[in-house]
Amino acid sequence: MAKSPSASPDTDGWEVQLRRGSLELAILASLWQRRLYGLEILRALESTAALGVAEGTLYLILGRLKAEGLVAAEWVDAGSGHPRKYYWLTVSGKERLRRMARAWAQLSANLDVLLEPVLDPKEAARDKR
Amino acid sequence: MTSDSDRQAIDAYLLRLRRGLRRLPAAEREEVVAEIHGHVLERLEARGDEGGGAVAQVLCAVGDPDRLGAQYETDALLRRAAGSRSPWLLLRATTSWARRGVRGIGALLLAVAGYGVALVCYASAVAKPVFPSRIGMWLSPGSTVTVGYWSGRLPSELIGLSVRPPASLIVLGTFGPTQGPVRELLGLWLIPAGIVAGFLCAFATTWCLRKLIARAALATA
Repeated sequence: MAKSPSASPDTDGWEVQLRRGSLELAILASLWQRRLYGLEILRALESTAALGVAEGTLYLILGRLKAEGLVAAEWVDAGSGHPRKYYWLTVSGKERLRRMARAWAQLSANLDVLLEPVLDPKEAARDKR
Repeated sequence: MTSDSDRQAIDAYLLRLRRGLRRLPAAEREEVVAEIHGHVLERLEARGDEGGGAVAQVLCAVGDPDRLGAQYETDALLRRAAGSRSPWLLLRATTSWARRGVRGIGALLLAVAGYGVALVCYASAVAKPVFPSRIGMWLSPGSTVTVGYWSGRLPSELIGLSVRPPASLIVLGTFGPTQGPVRELLGLWLIPAGIVAGFLCAFATTWCLRKLIARAALATA
């Protein structure tokens, strides 16, 4: 699992929490356009962000989302030697994802305003002097 | 593509997972195992022939089977409990949840305290007609009120649920039907009072637990 370069012991736990908190959103979002099976979802997440949890947890969360009626699933035997369980968003799953995405975008936009001066390289240079 | 020893390692992993999931319905359990099995096989195929250690790495990435099994089980229990009014199921779910974190421990403490108080109230109401002079709501020196059993000898020989309400409330004790260092406060009124208090306490505990559990079932692992 790749660690971000900024990770340090005191922010590690916080980062893990942040990733876990957004995991459900990321899983739902990966299913926005197509049906995927577990490993494909995992690859989609890995390509955008480190997962931060054991891979088995993904299936646990998928099961939870299915129990909540946000995703549906079906076994497909695609001749790969073993059947794959494909997942897709239900109507209420799409609705939930839209709401979550809006809330995330709003929060992120608000935070960006606050963080802009913090991330400003000129500020960092001033502090060093 | 997999050698015998690899297959053995995978089988051993799945066996442990299956054991961890033993309280899940069989169909659900086999589905979880099949899904994880497929995941492991496909990961191995994708890695190609890398030689030894690949299986161990893949299984390690999936996570500890005992822990994963326990998480699945807690999840299933919490889901069932969130829609249930059975104290037994709620207690089982919170016990399982308590093994996973501080919030679960808090919920378990609430469950034990709440249902414990309800149980003492019910038990006192039921036992009162059988042991009318031993079971009661007792006021002892130091203005402590105890619901439960008293031996009838020393004030220290009280067994039950004790509270120490503000002293001003204890004036009520002077209306109690008995005299002596330990007074009985309610007499036979303990029966309806115990049933009502027990019901209210159990009801409030169930309500709070269901709220907590519903919230926990939504949160990610």
